[in-house]
Amino acid sequence: MGGGLGWGPSNLSVIEVKDLKKTYKIGSVEIPALCGVSFAVEPGEFVAIMGPSGSGKSTLMNLIGCLDRPTSGVYKLDGTDASKLSDAARAAVRNRKIGFVFQSFNLLPRMSALKNTLLPMMYSSGRRDAKAARRALESVGLGKRLHHTPMQLSGGEQQRVAIARALVNDPPVMFGDEPTGNLDTVTGVEIMAIFQRLNNEGKTVIIVTHEADIAQHAKRILRFRDGLLESDEPVHEQLIAVPKPRE
Amino acid sequence: MGILDAIQTGLSELLSHKMRSMLTMLGVIFGVAAVIAMVSIGEGAKQEALDQIRQMGIDVIHVKRASISGELADKAEERSPYGLKYSDAQSIANVCSYAKRVVPTREVFADVKVGEKPVSVKIVGTTPDYLVVSRSKLQEGRFLFPTDIHDHLPVCVLGAAAKRELFGFDDPMGKTVKVSKKLFRVVGLIQPKEVGSAKAFSALRDLNSDIYIPINVSITDFKIASQQAIPADITKLQQIAMKLMSRTSIENSALSEVIVQVQNDVATGPTASIVRSVLNRSHRGIRDYEIIIPAELLKQSQQTQRIFNIVMAAIASISLLVGGIGIMNIMLATVTQRTREIGVRRCVGATRWDIVRQFMLEALVITCLGGLIGIVMGVGGAKAISDYAHWRTVVSMQAIIVSFGVSALVGIIFGMYPAVRAAMVDPIEALRYG
Repeated sequence: MGGGLGWGPSNLSVIEVKDLKKTYKIGSVEIPALCGVSFAVEPGEFVAIMGPSGSGKSTLMNLIGCLDRPTSGVYKLDGTDASKLSDAARAAVRNRKIGFVFQSFNLLPRMSALKNTLLPMMYSSGRRDAKAARRALESVGLGKRLHHTPMQLSGGEQQRVAIARALVNDPPVMFGDEPTGNLDTVTGVEIMAIFQRLNNEGKTVIIVTHEADIAQHAKRILRFRDGLLESDEPVHEQLIAVPKPRE
Repeated sequence: MGILDAIQTGLSELLSHKMRSMLTMLGVIFGVAAVIAMVSIGEGAKQEALDQIRQMGIDVIHVKRASISGELADKAEERSPYGLKYSDAQSIANVCSYAKRVVPTREVFADVKVGEKPVSVKIVGTTPDYLVVSRSKLQEGRFLFPTDIHDHLPVCVLGAAAKRELFGFDDPMGKTVKVSKKLFRVVGLIQPKEVGSAKAFSALRDLNSDIYIPINVSITDFKIASQQAIPADITKLQQIAMKLMSRTSIENSALSEVIVQVQNDVATGPTASIVRSVLNRSHRGIRDYEIIIPAELLKQSQQTQRIFNIVMAAIASISLLVGGIGIMNIMLATVTQRTREIGVRRCVGATRWDIVRQFMLEALVITCLGGLIGIVMGVGGAKAISDYAHWRTVVSMQAIIVSFGVSALVGIIFGMYPAVRAAMVDPIEALRYG
């Protein structure tokens, strides 16, 4: 299944990056983090972004996650130019078009799984659809853990709550920033299985990782080095994550 | 994020740190409670004072006998041996054109008997006008008549408390009471008068237990305590001479008080100065009397109330300021502690404004809750004070509304900076924090 094929004849890229640059200024010193990067991601793709630390992958992640603005270049998300949006507009984009999953889960500690899942809804025109949140949690296998707080959940379960939270507003793109980094291998595979399933259901998934075997679960790998795109290759033998049955 | 969600978040945040929230609120709680309790006490005292002044009437002047001691006492014996006397009342009536009524009173303590048991009661000798001037109302029978004075009749009118003490629930009308050794016929009853719990002014006393008799009867039959002491430097001969001149004796007989009612309440000031100059002359400069003008007391009390209010506002604002600083301190700590939460919220779509609003509402929830607890404590405190100290307190709705409004304002003002700090947090940094 190639990029965009599942989405019919329309060839509209969900992410389009052209000559994207980001330079950080610390005092009078300018530190280039991203030195002109161009690529596009079609709907339904599963992309892994790899690179050593300092390669610019985190900067790229912040830019395409609409958490930061590029110094120059164009970034189009779902057809709209997101590089020049105001702070409030970027917040709205993060809310509706992107689902974030982090390495350290980033759940709100005093809220139940259900409430954590509801959080993005609280910031989208005030509607709170507990049913949607419940469905999202059920889809990641936590239908029976709705009222547990993060403290009462294992790492894998917490990450699944985070995925449910990312899914609840039905965004076109899912971002995973080292989503398996804090998990053991078995649990990591479980999380990757969820991402693959979501991808099979049509979601565009982008993950940042430095683990080669995690990247092998994607369909395409972008490698970065020193702020530049080093290679852009499809994965020939995609690993299919099969979670081991637990007791 | 809806307001309700934000308030709910604020509340759950408060509940998850109960101890800290309580301590944070304490400043506002005490501030508001103190304001409400103090305003209630102040308002109660004010009402009390106003009631008493109104009871005296603002169109009257009281001239009271004053005791003199020390060096002046000897001079007083010499120049004005009788103190406030019957002739003073007469000259005031003659000189003051504004004076509508001039009522002399003469208060004497005496043992009063109906059955066998004597009761010590204040016997007030006065004239028929007293009823109007003292703002008393008759319950039964009549007050003193001019003919009682003219005919020197032994009749009396009872105050409500005096009646209760002497007759219980029996009808006293037409019965006789024995005052010292003389019999008086009861001709009337005065309605009970409302008397405040605290005596704000010495000019006021409980009039309910008085017994009223014609003034001339009082003069001939009873002696005022201070007059009974025979001045040392007056020879026996002079005494005898004075006693023989009975006409002079009436005029020189001591009075407790002269109540002057004027045409209208504006005239109290000028009348008072005329009264002062008349008495100054006849008493040869000896101040053995005092002039009390209720209208002036009213003004003074209003002035005092204003000062009290200003002092209170100052105390209240200091305590609320301290409370506010405490809240700001805690909110700043909270913002730092919850940096990661802020990052997560921003990441899932919260705008800066959402974050400002959330933290402002949390501060507001703290101060409003503190304000509410403070109101409950303040009202309870005022109640406790009136129950145990028997002070009159008046809880004013205005004080409640204003102090609640101010505590909300404190939340907004002192929550603003921490909330803006929270909103300025860079989400990328915030997600990496901790």
